[in-house]
Amino acid sequence: MSRWERGSCVLKCLDHWMKGNMAPFCSLARWNYFFLYDGSKVKEEGDPTRAGICYFYPPQTLLDQQELLCGQIAGVVRCISDISASAPALVRLRKLKFAVKVDGEFLWVLGCAVELPDISCKQFLDQLIGVFNFYNGPVSLAYKNCSQEDLRAEWDTFIEQILKNTGDLHKIFSSLWNLDRTQVEPLLLLKAALILQTCQRSPHVLAGCILYKGLIVSTQLPPSLTAKVLIHPAASRHQRRPAGGGGPQERGAALPPNVRIMPVFLTEEEATSLREFPREQAASPAAAPARLQQCSAQQPPHPRSTGAPTDNATGHVEPMAWMLAATPESACPDVAWPDGKGENGHLPGCDLENVKPAKLHSPPRDEGPGLGSSLVKELHLPWGEEEPDLSAIHIPEAQETETSSGYFALPSTGAPDGGGPCFEEFVRDSGDPAPESRDAPPVVMAISSVLSPSTPEMLSQNGALEQHDDLPGDSSQAPFPREDHLPGRTSRPRSWPCSDLRQRGTALPEGEQGVERSVGAHDSCSAPGGSALPESQDDNGPSADRRDPGLAPASCMGLVPTNLYTHSVNGLVLSLLAEEPLRGDDAAIEEVYHSSLASLNGLEVHLKETLPKDAAASPSRTYNFTHYDRIQNVLTANLPQTATPQDRRFLRAVSLMHSDFAQLPALYEMTVRNASTAVYACCSPAQETYFQQLAAAARSSGFPSPQDGAFSLPGKARQKLLKHGVNLL
Amino acid sequence: MKCVLVATEGAEVLFYWTDEAFAESLRLKFGRSENEGEELPALEDQLSTLLAPVIISSMTMLEKLSDTYTCFSTENGDYLYVLHLFGECLFVAINGDHTEDEGDLRQKLCVLKYLFEVHFGLVTVDGQLVRKELRPPDRERRVQVWEHFQSLLRTYGRLREREQCFAVEAVERLIHPQLCELCIEALERHVIQAVNSSPERAGEEALHAFLLVHSKLLAFYSSHSASSLRPADLLALILLVQDRYPSESTAEDDDPQETDSFSLPEEYFTPAPSPGEQSSGSTVWLDEGTPPTDAPQIAEDTLQMLVPHSPVASGPRRIFLDASVKESHCPMVPHTAYCLPLWPGINMVLLTKSPGSPLALVLCQLLDAFSLLEKKLKEGQEAGTTLRSHPLMGDLRQRMDKFVKNRGGQEIQSTWLEFKSKAFSRSEPGSSWELLQACGKVKRQLCAIYRLSFLTTAPGRGGPHLPQQLQDKVQSIMQEKLTDWKDFLLVKSRRNVTMVSYPHARAPRLVHFIYVDRTTGQMVAPSLSSSKRISSELGRGPLATFIRTKVWSLIRLARRYLQKGYATLLFREGDFCFSYFLWFENEMGYKLQIIEVPVLSDDSTCIGVLGGDYYRKLLRYYSKSHPAEAVKCHELLALHLSVIPTDVLVQQAGELARRLWETSRLPLL
Repeated sequence: MSRWERGSCVLKCLDHWMKGNMAPFCSLARWNYFFLYDGSKVKEEGDPTRAGICYFYPPQTLLDQQELLCGQIAGVVRCISDISASAPALVRLRKLKFAVKVDGEFLWVLGCAVELPDISCKQFLDQLIGVFNFYNGPVSLAYKNCSQEDLRAEWDTFIEQILKNTGDLHKIFSSLWNLDRTQVEPLLLLKAALILQTCQRSPHVLAGCILYKGLIVSTQLPPSLTAKVLIHPAASRHQRRPAGGGGPQERGAALPPNVRIMPVFLTEEEATSLREFPREQAASPAAAPARLQQCSAQQPPHPRSTGAPTDNATGHVEPMAWMLAATPESACPDVAWPDGKGENGHLPGCDLENVKPAKLHSPPRDEGPGLGSSLVKELHLPWGEEEPDLSAIHIPEAQETETSSGYFALPSTGAPDGGGPCFEEFVRDSGDPAPESRDAPPVVMAISSVLSPSTPEMLSQNGALEQHDDLPGDSSQAPFPREDHLPGRTSRPRSWPCSDLRQRGTALPEGEQGVERSVGAHDSCSAPGGSALPESQDDNGPSADRRDPGLAPASCMGLVPTNLYTHSVNGLVLSLLAEEPLRGDDAAIEEVYHSSLASLNGLEVHLKETLPKDAAASPSRTYNFTHYDRIQNVLTANLPQTATPQDRRFLRAVSLMHSDFAQLPALYEMTVRNASTAVYACCSPAQETYFQQLAAAARSSGFPSPQDGAFSLPGKARQKLLKHGVNLL
Repeated sequence: MKCVLVATEGAEVLFYWTDEAFAESLRLKFGRSENEGEELPALEDQLSTLLAPVIISSMTMLEKLSDTYTCFSTENGDYLYVLHLFGECLFVAINGDHTEDEGDLRQKLCVLKYLFEVHFGLVTVDGQLVRKELRPPDRERRVQVWEHFQSLLRTYGRLREREQCFAVEAVERLIHPQLCELCIEALERHVIQAVNSSPERAGEEALHAFLLVHSKLLAFYSSHSASSLRPADLLALILLVQDRYPSESTAEDDDPQETDSFSLPEEYFTPAPSPGEQSSGSTVWLDEGTPPTDAPQIAEDTLQMLVPHSPVASGPRRIFLDASVKESHCPMVPHTAYCLPLWPGINMVLLTKSPGSPLALVLCQLLDAFSLLEKKLKEGQEAGTTLRSHPLMGDLRQRMDKFVKNRGGQEIQSTWLEFKSKAFSRSEPGSSWELLQACGKVKRQLCAIYRLSFLTTAPGRGGPHLPQQLQDKVQSIMQEKLTDWKDFLLVKSRRNVTMVSYPHARAPRLVHFIYVDRTTGQMVAPSLSSSKRISSELGRGPLATFIRTKVWSLIRLARRYLQKGYATLLFREGDFCFSYFLWFENEMGYKLQIIEVPVLSDDSTCIGVLGGDYYRKLLRYYSKSHPAEAVKCHELLALHLSVIPTDVLVQQAGELARRLWETSRLPLL
């Protein structure tokens, strides 16, 4: 439009402006397009564009329209790649924006409404691709091995689930769907975590997560993996042959009821991160249970309500931990604790005084395999007021051990490259602003801080480096020294060179007694018929062989075949990632199944009973807030399902500010205000928090004035959000 | 790695500009694929080859989806492409070095389009005619035109990067009431009146005259018959002057060899304020007490500024500006601009109106009516019959008949007859499509008349203009009047010391501020020199550079949030705290309630003045709810150290705004 036309259309422009202004913030809630296009099928002049369309959403789009979008965007992407030597990641139109990913000849494109921040649009596409690759392997192989119809059904299922479960806020942050932890009894969260740990002790199992009605109850997986497990493939999926993975594994026995095992594909980073921390256990057997405890304890059981039993705790762990997370260098000196001693030399004492008595005084008294549940009581009870009979277990130095729980983040922050998941978990823990975040027993943390060396230097000092090297990739077979407390348990035995362990034991004088005990017990129970990793691979030789042809291409595409074991009990789903041999190992499957069945049933019943039916926010809401955990990628918010105009203003501001927080790393606080609302936001490396008051503020002029309510928002946010477990101090 | 391209729907290059890095990358690309020894295709052809798929695809999308590309970004934002469709021309800006964000690129495109309008006026309405102007068939002429706009783009980029006034797009004044008064009087008596009373003026009427010291405005005088000049037009004129006579601070990096002429350290005549001076609290806001004679005498040669870049004839130039003609507002009225350099760094600009402006008004109104008609036809609801009875049509027919009768051109007559037969014939009314075609033809004829009247006979191409002697006379009079002041002015423009003491003495932790009156389009800020040689109130060196980047990023953020409707912002980033306030007040300074500022899409023309005149629209929008009073709009951007508590910051900002308001109340024009 020329300037002149503009001039004559001023009034129209103003109308348009106003309309734009009043437009509801709702188009965010849908995706416009998603498609996968195979450029290799459209090479010649005469090739129809439709030949290259592998999948198109929404499916009812006219074929002409599909061809138009695919053809044009593919052409533009090629052209831009030519000029810039890198493909466009985002193509924006006036009313649509497309996130684009080029994968060889394949082109993935997701079209969203322009209101959605660029970064979220890209993350969504990544998530979709991730889910597809997870269940189907590399896209080129998937389309080679499976029919387009099957894969179309697969896509439809993924997209339907994502669209059904993704609210506006989830879209903005592309966050995981998590259970509102304030609505759940913290003990149940801990129980879920313990179920996962129990399963982890079964052979082949790497890590897992528990979902209830599609929401995360507890997870041991990094957020990117949890996101994939959250989405179920089409029902017929597991009967199909895997695309890039192994050949059929003829199973002798049928799977237990409600259990499915399907081949899935991890990215190399994911595989490394999953396998990494059990290997650390191997290097330091005495620490294994502690590490397990630690990992699960840090992630899920963070009840964010002030009602949590551990509310008496102070938040003093947190500022320090933040600092640590932000400045890894400062952590380095501590990483090198040469003898596994805490700085104050106090922690090992803790271990001896508190953990051991706990073990001794509370023998497992639950149903069969209930290591998990017994541990729940053992470990949690110091805070659990419900069962006073065990409150005799006195933890004298709770404060100190809390402090140390900040320290135990150090080893992994010092080794960020090797620390994969641990690093994340540590940051997660330390970065969590919720004061209740340490309801995992500090005792256990103390042990871990002492006994879980994760750096090579540490290992070599302990004389255990050789062992570490000898057992590469031995992940599923981690030893569990404390199994001696569960004599009834039949686990696959393992063998460990005692000398190594003893050596390490002596290297840890403070913890010696405990370590020795564990080691001895472990040896005795694992001695017969032990199978270290090389053997177990031999055992599964045939299946490994069968896998080979498929494995090679998958691996070279950066994907690692793995198994996903899922066990659903009504709304509750236990998902475990396991090494491939699990599929062929009936005994191991039985073990996982039986070790978790009872607890899962119990957990399901409890969750059903305790979770409120209607999660609608209370009508007396006087403010909106959103707290985003950047590490775990989960949200806490109090927005209702149906957004009011004021809520939409909040969402609009949140999406803008979230983009800026992502782009400007030094930005840590923002207040934005227009005529009808003011929104305050702050962020740290670990979290982002947004706050809006709903009460209609007195209209101001916009002239800088200290009386302006917008500038008192930070104080109000600090005060109001405390009760949601969000600490902005 | 920067590039700007303007192309037609058919991917024909109408204009391009690249920086050296981008040209080099093209050379590499084409050098590799072409055979050795074979000559590389011209840069424009390389660009056209590379970008044709994108251009054609965007036209296809527009046709099929009624939507088109606005932006591409590659992984990590390494490359950013911004596309904007103006009429039938697609404007593309590319950045491959992270130095500009989407807003910057879009603004650059809007500014370029605005510069086209300033140069070609209503001819830009017609795609084919503007093509003739931007891409003359004569190769030499084409190179000349492109070089001119390439140079303007470079100058614009430089000014936007270095001058606060171009960063916020508001005119910065050189504040010195005494001198200002003297200049205004001289401009009135010895320039405007002198020209208008001269018998040699050849029908030209002097309307405005103003003095610039570097990019800052010293004094401005408009004749009584003239309508006011828009801030956007004034900024565009400053840009043109800066392009023709680049001042040393903005051009020094391009001509490093020139630095030798500056052997004297500038502290010699502008000593950096010592801490004692700063804390003395003496506000130098209006430092009338600094007579120019107090300044140490500087040898003439040390103040020798750069010679103009190109010895292009500094003759008058045809430009098109908004004006009122016969009481009615008319965009793109032809003016003639004379840029008369007084000394290097100090220029006088004289704007005259040619006798043809009533014709411009008529053409403008007719084109407006036909455009409206076209729009209705495109919307499709008005077929021939209903259209004929439309009140607009009767009026249009009458005016057009009169116009054709008076002008009497052969072509316009036949085109108009053809249109009439389609639109008004009772026997065989034309279809909408036919009418649309006929309407397009009439518009083109009108544009052609406009082009013939104002561009073909432009002063630059030998059209009528003020005789050289008259220009010389006016120039020498002003030189005479200002000769005692010129050194003082040159220094003052660098250190346009508004309130040296303010930031430190009255507002601890305040690092910088920019205060803008959007009604008058003027800004006030402590100086932030980009020059290595000239220190500003913040000193020079890395700290000053660092703060400059902070200020510029604050401006960007403020724009982005204003685009999304937020009129108040407070950010804390690293060691700094940014705040931005926009408010409205009435003539008396009474603060009015804030309204919902429109939320604009990312691809809307930017929040600026040069390309889009955002604030003018905003003011009109606001005035709709306050019809009774004159509404003023102000902005304050402040940069504090982040240790400042929010309440103190807000209080300081309020006080600062009040003080600046008081001082800006002094009549200056």
